[in-house]
Amino acid sequence: MFRRGLACLAGVLGLMAALAFPAVAQEKKIKIGVVYDLTGPFAGGGSELHNLGAKIMIDHINATGGIEGYKIDAIYADAQSKPDVAINEAVRLIEQEKVDMLLGFFSSAECVPTAARVEQFKKFMWITTCIASPVLENRHLKYVFRAQPYGTQWGLASTAMLTAYAKEAFGKEPKDLRVAIIHEDGAYGVDVARGNSEGAAKGGLNVVLKEGYSVTAPDLSSLVTKLKRARPDVILHTGYNPDISLFLRQAREGGLRFQALIGHGAGYTDYSKLKAAGGTDVNFFMDVDPISIWEVKPDALKPGLAELTKMVGEAYKKAKPETVIMSAHVGMAASNTHLFLSQVLPRAIKTYGGIDAEALRKAALDVDVPEGGTMLGFGAKFEPETAVMAGQNNRAYPVVIQYVDDKAYVVWPKALQQRAPVLKLPDSSPYAVK
Amino acid sequence: MFDIYLLEAGINGILLGGVLALLALGCNLVFGVIDVVWICYAEMIMMGMYGMFYLVSVYHWPFLLAAPVAIALVGIIGVLLHLIVIAPLLNAAPINQLLATGGVLAFLQALATVLFGIDFRNLGIRMPVIEVSDMYLSYARLLAFGTALAGMIAVYLFLSRTYTGTAIRAISQDRQIMPLMGVDSRKIYLITSLIGGSLAGLAACLLVLQYDVHPFIGLTFGPITFMICVLGGLGNMIGGFVASFIFAEIISVGGLYMDLEWGYVFAFVFFIVTMFVRPRGLLARKS
Repeated sequence: MFRRGLACLAGVLGLMAALAFPAVAQEKKIKIGVVYDLTGPFAGGGSELHNLGAKIMIDHINATGGIEGYKIDAIYADAQSKPDVAINEAVRLIEQEKVDMLLGFFSSAECVPTAARVEQFKKFMWITTCIASPVLENRHLKYVFRAQPYGTQWGLASTAMLTAYAKEAFGKEPKDLRVAIIHEDGAYGVDVARGNSEGAAKGGLNVVLKEGYSVTAPDLSSLVTKLKRARPDVILHTGYNPDISLFLRQAREGGLRFQALIGHGAGYTDYSKLKAAGGTDVNFFMDVDPISIWEVKPDALKPGLAELTKMVGEAYKKAKPETVIMSAHVGMAASNTHLFLSQVLPRAIKTYGGIDAEALRKAALDVDVPEGGTMLGFGAKFEPETAVMAGQNNRAYPVVIQYVDDKAYVVWPKALQQRAPVLKLPDSSPYAVK
Repeated sequence: MFDIYLLEAGINGILLGGVLALLALGCNLVFGVIDVVWICYAEMIMMGMYGMFYLVSVYHWPFLLAAPVAIALVGIIGVLLHLIVIAPLLNAAPINQLLATGGVLAFLQALATVLFGIDFRNLGIRMPVIEVSDMYLSYARLLAFGTALAGMIAVYLFLSRTYTGTAIRAISQDRQIMPLMGVDSRKIYLITSLIGGSLAGLAACLLVLQYDVHPFIGLTFGPITFMICVLGGLGNMIGGFVASFIFAEIISVGGLYMDLEWGYVFAFVFFIVTMFVRPRGLLARKS
């Protein structure tokens, strides 16, 4: 009787195991902690849109069968626009949620300390957004990779364009072109401003003012007064939001006049919000950022990417039906997330046998995507650990776009130019030098 | 040599002072009477700004009609804050009161995030600019300055010329004795909370003309408002008024001659030094 009972039990257990086996096989998954700011000032400044872009891509990959038998188990965390919270969330995701890796990060102020902390855990970190050079520069991090261009490139792009167009657009030699550099004083703004200074020095531009301010400053009228005194032809501005809105409002009320304004990402990238703050005043403003995926010519991309861009756009509009002009933020995160999911993860699984940090790191270093191989148009090749910018995608670059009558046009570099830049605001602008 | 930019910075400082004075007015009134710091004061202003945004931009009410409604709305929030949070803690340790209103701060931020989302919103109203010589003065700021001045005078007249105002002043001088002399302290606290909240609502109506509203706008004004109240002497409305202008001038003129951030550094250094020299504030009440 006892033996029959044992046999029955064994049979039941065997059946259960047999039933469970396929389920176990299907449950292979990579656990990814996705960290963006979903609350706090950065959320509205673009971070929430980056979160949406990453989520759209992760959901799409899961819906189309996952990667090499792995499903993505994404755990979304809110950094609350605070560096300390970003670090704590990263640690919580690693220690308590046992994630295999981290992805995301909007704010450079959060990225700089979090990258170092994640490296201590020997976990893989894939940065989709934050751009400050100090995140990677001279740190030789092994497990932190950034698909996005880095901040100094932003500053260099705008100044290179000004140098090239000084004579043609302003009728001045570069040395006579008066340029003011203003920026939020966090890691992001400081780094872009550094690029501006380097670019201005290289091009021989005349920097008449360089000044930082706190993103939460309640008043920027002193800055406006200083700018009036410095009389710049061009203002190079790096900010989040709502500091950009405050500056533009106080600049208009303070009678500040200039010939051109070039923003550098973040608050200048979300045109809907920029227009909501400044109305038609923002017409002919420029912005430096990776090109919007919806502006990339489909025939310049690797086959299949244009369809992916279309899918992201449809999912974006489904998630936010009120959207009028699709923000470049969503596309940036979607593309950079796709780069990881299509190039790094499958290679780590197939070539390096798993999804641990070491396999992911080796796979990332093997990535060699030519121009046109990502939805953002640029390619991908990551700097090795010995390089100054270890982990940086050295094929990524930003472009300068100009908003003209509610449309965005690439105006720099010349190779990608959709139209020539308008470098003198028309008389109808309240900021125009009359 | 005459420097028109210095003059402009000085005038901008005065106008910024008006904004800060308006913020400090209600906060000081409440502390002066109830002896509780509304740490969540800036978040109440944020709720008023949202009220204005919805009434004016979404429901298309005229600004002047929406403003009294928004003021009343924040006034009611002030009363509710007193009834639900402050009243049960009136005899509690100050730190508990501070933590409780700090909790309300986080609650209001979270509530606004859930109700209104994280987007920045503005009325899209463009106030005219006054041009004098090469100087440009913001009409919105002039309005805030004038309102702060008028509000200050109105509150002063209310406190000194009316029966209720006299009762408020009396209870602020001695919370234990006045109830024994027939003053209904509960009613006085409620009236004070209503006025304090309404002043936050008034500030909201003027700030919404100058700033985008989002759930975390309080971070921009909260700390500086609290510092001004302490600098002027917590509970001292005239002290708060004076401190606002000192603070604003240091920020504005200091920021003109040095990096903008140095203006704030000097303002904070001034605050710290004052706290050492006059720990109860520039024009502290005698206890």
